[in-house]
Amino acid sequence: MSETPLIQIRNLSKSYGDKLVLKNLSLDIYPGQVIGYIGPNGAGKSTTVKILTGLIPDFEGEVIVDGINMAKDPLGIKKLFGYVPENAEIYDVLTPMEYLDFIGRLYGMDETTLHDRIKRLLTAFSLGTNADDRMDTFSKGMKQKVLLISGIIHNPKIIILDEPLSGLDANAVIMIKELILRLSKEGKTIFYCSHMMDVVEKVSDRILLINKGEIIADGTFESLKQNHSDTLERIFSKLTGREDQANEADAIINAFD
Amino acid sequence: MLLSMDKLFLRFVSVFYPLLAKTGVDTIQLNEILRVKLLLDNRRPKAMFATKRGANGSVTNKSPWFIIFGTVVMGVFIGLVLFLNKMPYVGETYYFLIFMVLMTLTLISDFTTVLIDTRDQFILLPRPINDRTIAVSRIMHISIYVLRLALLQGAPALVMVGFLDGIMAVPIFFIQILEATFLSIFFVNIIYLLLMNSVSPQRFKDIISYFQIGFSVLIFAAYYLLPRLINVSVLGNISLLSHWWAYCLPPVWIAALNELLIHPGRSNTVTSLLAIIGLTLPVVGLWLVAKVLAPGFNRRLSVIATSDGNSNTLTEIKKAKRFSLIEKISNLVAPDPVENAGFRITWKLSARTREFKMKVYPAFAYVPIYFIYIVFSGKDESFSDRLDKLQHGHNYILLIYLCSFILTTILSNISMSEKYKSSWVYYALPIDNPGKILSGMFKAVVTLYFLPLCLVFSVIIVSFWGPQAINDVILAFLVSLIYGILIALFMVKGLPFSKPVVNKQGGGKVITSLLMMAFIGAIGVGHYFLMRWEMVIWIAIIPAFLIVWIMLKQYKKQSWESIEMADL
Repeated sequence: MSETPLIQIRNLSKSYGDKLVLKNLSLDIYPGQVIGYIGPNGAGKSTTVKILTGLIPDFEGEVIVDGINMAKDPLGIKKLFGYVPENAEIYDVLTPMEYLDFIGRLYGMDETTLHDRIKRLLTAFSLGTNADDRMDTFSKGMKQKVLLISGIIHNPKIIILDEPLSGLDANAVIMIKELILRLSKEGKTIFYCSHMMDVVEKVSDRILLINKGEIIADGTFESLKQNHSDTLERIFSKLTGREDQANEADAIINAFD
Repeated sequence: MLLSMDKLFLRFVSVFYPLLAKTGVDTIQLNEILRVKLLLDNRRPKAMFATKRGANGSVTNKSPWFIIFGTVVMGVFIGLVLFLNKMPYVGETYYFLIFMVLMTLTLISDFTTVLIDTRDQFILLPRPINDRTIAVSRIMHISIYVLRLALLQGAPALVMVGFLDGIMAVPIFFIQILEATFLSIFFVNIIYLLLMNSVSPQRFKDIISYFQIGFSVLIFAAYYLLPRLINVSVLGNISLLSHWWAYCLPPVWIAALNELLIHPGRSNTVTSLLAIIGLTLPVVGLWLVAKVLAPGFNRRLSVIATSDGNSNTLTEIKKAKRFSLIEKISNLVAPDPVENAGFRITWKLSARTREFKMKVYPAFAYVPIYFIYIVFSGKDESFSDRLDKLQHGHNYILLIYLCSFILTTILSNISMSEKYKSSWVYYALPIDNPGKILSGMFKAVVTLYFLPLCLVFSVIIVSFWGPQAINDVILAFLVSLIYGILIALFMVKGLPFSKPVVNKQGGGKVITSLLMMAFIGAIGVGHYFLMRWEMVIWIAIIPAFLIVWIMLKQYKKQSWESIEMADL
C-alpha cells in the first residue's frame, strides 16, 4: 500500500432540495484496495458513486483522483474509471460487439486492440457465440456480463461496481468474485457496492458502511468483527440502528391477528 | 435504403469536423456517437414488430414509408403557397414561415424523447467525453434527422420553384431550405434552454408532452377549420412586406436570397442586407449553440434524467384529498371489490401515464372541431346566417354522438402500455372473472372521461337550444354507451394497460369497427328523424337504458378465454 491515496474525498456534501444526502463525507482510498461500500437503502451510497463517476456534476466539497481535481478536469478522472451501473441501462438493439466497439472508441481505443480484446473478453465471459446477436433477446445475466465487460474494456485503474452480480447465476458469481481478487492483485482499485453482505465480506479488504449520508464504520472485516459482531450482516444491522429485526418480524406476524 | 441515406449524411456532416474540432469537440467520439445513434434510430422497433417487443425503448408509431409519404404530401401542400402571390418574394416568405413553424413544432414534439434518452446518462456520461462533444452530437443527431425531414418536406417545392422562377432558382432554393432548417434548430435549442432554465425537470417533461398534444390539435384544427373560416385568396393579396415589422421575420431573410439572385432588378440594399443576414445567421446560430449554450444545456439535461424519482412525493400528498370524491364515486359505481380494483387502476394509470394522455387528450379537442367542421360546411352563407340556422335546427345531437369518438379513442388505447409487463399481477392473482376488471375499467372510462365531456356539452346544448333538448341528450348518451360496450366487447381484448403498444389493427377488427360505426350512425339518423316527437324520445330512453344495463351485466361475465394475454 502506497502512501498517497488514489482517491481523496474531502467534505463532500450533496443535497436534493432540502434533503441532505451526503454530510461532509471525507475519505481516502489507496491503490489496490478493494472497497466494500455498504449501507441501507437511501443512505447516500449511489449518490457517492454517481458523483465519483461524474453523473452528478454539481456537489460541494472536493474530489481528487490520482492528483486530478474533479471540478477542474472531470474527463481526466473519467478516463481512469470503469463503471458498471446498477440499473442495467444498455442500448439493447445493438449487438455486444457493436456496443462494446462503441464504448471502446469513446475511450479512444485503437481498433485492432479493441476488437481483439472484445472477442477475448466475450469468450471469457462465455458470450463468444452471442457476439453478433442483438441484446434485446438476452437474459438479464447476459446483459449484465456485457455491462461488466464495458466497465473494464479500457483497462481502467479504478473499477466501480454497483451491484454487479444481479441476474448472474452461481457459476458467474464465483467467476466474478475470483475476477475481483485477480484485478486487485493486478493493482486495480475496486469500489464495490452491494447489498449482498456475504459477498462483500469475502471480496473486500476494507469495508465502508454509510448511513444517513455519513460513514459510520471503516475498516477491514476483521477489525469490524472485533468491535461489533461476528458476521457482516449483524454488524450492518447493529450499526444502522436496526437491531430489533426480531421485533419487526413479530409485528409483521401480529398484523395478521 | 434508410441505412445508406444515413451514411451519406454522416459523410456530409464530416465536412464540419475540422471547424468543430476548433471549438473543442472530439470529432472521433462525435462520429462514433452519431453512427451509433443513427443505427439505434433505424433499429427502433417498427410498428409491425411491436407485438414482440416494446417494453423497453420507445416504439415508433408509424412505419417509415408512411411517414415519408405523409411528409412529401405535406410538402406539396406547403409548396402550393408559393403560387399564392405573383411576387415570389412574398410567396417564399409565406412558404418559409410555414416551413419553419412546422419544422420547429415537429422537432419539439417528435424528437424530445430521443433527445432525453435517459440511458445516455449511464452509458455516455461516465465515459471521458466532454460536455461539448455530447451536446454537439445531440445537435448533429437532430440535424441529420431534421435534414432528412427537411429534404422530404422541401422536395416538392424545389420542383415547383423550378417552374416558377426558372432552373437557376432550384439550387438557391436548396440553400434556402438549409438556412430555414438550421434556423429552426437554433430556435428549438433556445426554446429548450428557456424551458429548462425556468421550470423544474419534471414540469419540463409535462410541458413538452402538452406541447405535443397542443401541436397535434393545432394541425388537426388547421386542416379542418382554416379553409372554412378564411378565404385563402385574401391571403395572397395582403402585401406583407409593406409593413416594416415584416423585416424582422426570419422567413423574409431567407426569401431575400432568391429575390437578390433571381430578380436583381427588384432588389435593393435592404434586400441584399437581409439576404446576407439569412445566410450568416444559421451559421452563427449553430456556432452559438455549440460554444455558448451547449454546456449548460447538457448539465440541465442530466438533471432531468437523474431527478425522475426525487421530486414526486410532495405533489402526491396534495392530490390525495381531491381524489377522495372519485374514490367515493368508484365505490358507488363499482361496488364489487374486483370491479372496484379495475376501476381504480384504470383511473390512476390513465391519469398518470404520459403516453396514454398523449394519445387520448387530443381527441377531446377533436370533437368540437369536427362539430364546427360539419355544421359550418355550407359555403355561401354568412357566419351569422349559419349560426341562426344552427339554433333552429337539431344538429346538436350530433355533438353528443360525436363524443362517442372519445370512447373509441380511449378504449382502443386503454389496454396498451409500454410497461405492460407489470400486468403479471392480473394473471398471478386468483381472479376468477376478468370481466369484473374489464367492467370496472369500462365504468371508469365512462364516468371519468365520457360523462364529464357529455355533461359539459349538455350544459352548452341546453343553454343554447333550450330544455327540450334534454331528452335527446340522455338518449344519445345511452346509445353512445351501447356503442361503447360493443367496442369494448369486440375491440378491447386485453385488461387495462396489459398489452404492448401496437398501432396496426388486424383487418377483421377494422371491419368490425366500421360496422359498429355504421350501427351508431344509423341509430343517430333514426334519432334525428324521431326528434320532432318529444314523447317518443322520452319513451325510447327506457329500452335504451335497459339494454345498457343488460349489456353491462353480460360484459362483466367475460371469462379468461376471451382475454388476449401478452407474452410477459
